[in-house]
Amino acid sequence: MRERNLFPNTASFPQSMTQSYLSHLECSGCGKKYSHDQIHTFCSVCQSPLLAQYDLMRARQNVDREEITRRKRGMWRWREFLPVLHEENQVFLGEGDTPLLSLPRLEKELGLSHLYVKDESSNPTGSFKARGLAAAISKAKELGVEKVIIPTAGNAGGAMAAYAARAGLKAHIFMPKDTPFANIEESRMAGAEVILVDGLISDAAGMAGEKARAEGWFDVSTFKEPYRVEGKKVMGYELAEAFAWQLPDVIIYPTGGGTGLVGMWKAFAELEALGWLEKTKRPRMVSVQADGCAPVVKAFQKGAIFCDFWTNAKTIASGLRVPKSFADSLILQDIYDSEGTALAVSDEEILDSQKHLARMEGIFAAPEGAATLAALKELVQEGWIQSEERIVLFNTGSGLKYLDYKN
Amino acid sequence: MSNNILYIEDNPDNMMLVQRALESRGYHLLKAMTGLSGVEAAEREDVDLILLDINLPDIDGYEVARRLRKSSKTSLMHTPIIAITANALKGDAEKALDAGCDVYMSKPINIRELWARVEAFVPMP
Repeated sequence: MRERNLFPNTASFPQSMTQSYLSHLECSGCGKKYSHDQIHTFCSVCQSPLLAQYDLMRARQNVDREEITRRKRGMWRWREFLPVLHEENQVFLGEGDTPLLSLPRLEKELGLSHLYVKDESSNPTGSFKARGLAAAISKAKELGVEKVIIPTAGNAGGAMAAYAARAGLKAHIFMPKDTPFANIEESRMAGAEVILVDGLISDAAGMAGEKARAEGWFDVSTFKEPYRVEGKKVMGYELAEAFAWQLPDVIIYPTGGGTGLVGMWKAFAELEALGWLEKTKRPRMVSVQADGCAPVVKAFQKGAIFCDFWTNAKTIASGLRVPKSFADSLILQDIYDSEGTALAVSDEEILDSQKHLARMEGIFAAPEGAATLAALKELVQEGWIQSEERIVLFNTGSGLKYLDYKN
Repeated sequence: MSNNILYIEDNPDNMMLVQRALESRGYHLLKAMTGLSGVEAAEREDVDLILLDINLPDIDGYEVARRLRKSSKTSLMHTPIIAITANALKGDAEKALDAGCDVYMSKPINIRELWARVEAFVPMP
């Protein structure tokens, strides 16, 4: 499905241009600038993640937020702030514009007034990973990449396989051997080569990185290329729009690689630069991890700017089994800047909350999503959250993809 | 403190990257390309911290760490060792820490993190 050209009067742009305001890539560590018309991974100088930068001052003069709200639904209606230049390279499977659902029964039970869940399970391939992989695969296609490789704890593999198939790219996927069966099967079904690794996502990342270097395949690992975070950031744009160009008070987000958390914080900065927010008060960002793998929580509690590698990582929430994110310093910085917090919940609490969310509100969340409800209960009990605050939980995927551990 | 940091690493690209990063902060980098020569260098030189790759052409980094901790040069029992590896086998971090390393870092090496980790043990000159 391809959207019509919404800028028929801008004669200076060729018909296929999407009017992305992408200007360059910039290292999040040392600030070194890179051209966006070449393939890049991470900074060659300091080896930190690269982030896409846009000419927001020019966009501020030319782009009307209300016009975007009238466009056909989907992630690409925010195309001015996405990195793909040519419309024909947008690989679209229906990602984005997931529902922001109120949770009236849980709200009442927990003594809250404004509780919502951003339910990402309605994305293609059943998880929020679709957003990041839609952006990354689209940009890879635009840059002429033919083969892509990814290490994944689950859902990213299925998403990459689907988008790569639609883009006509060959996908290679490294997954821990205990990855949920649904992720393995959906990847194979979409024609990807799947290699099962006896280890964790970090082990899969090591193997995928070696293979990428040896074969010259493009590594789409979290934050080792600059564009997945761009797809994820649209969650922040959608929230701003849904809250009438204000932002919620608290966002509770399950954190593995942290792309969504970093992406939303980036979106809020961009929205501020665009002058689109009615109030510039940003949310407090809450990072939720499992107590069997909580590197961000441990670092946050110490006030550290990097995470220690988490040893013997173990949790049923496979998306949270990330011993150390490549973007750990960005995640921590955003939590500190937001005056947020980080906390860990047990697998037992995750399973209880998964059941609770399903029975009270009819949402069968992924364990990672259920972890946010478990965290909310703790934060309410501690008094960290006030009853009148607007709180958004993130359900990152469908519980239907995690039936293995129920057996 | 001599500000000497020994890097045991067989990959010249990684060696050069780390050398540039640490020398820009005033540290002096000693280099060893194999595990055995790394152990010898640590025993011979005055070393404040050791950066240790795991995949080495002779003995692996785990064995290097074990030998350093058992060395007759007793100061090596307490010299900080940071394992830096792109290994892809299950439990690398756990094995590195068990072998006597103090910190585990995975490649690619984030230079800002490397500075922070090194400075935690050896203040910037």
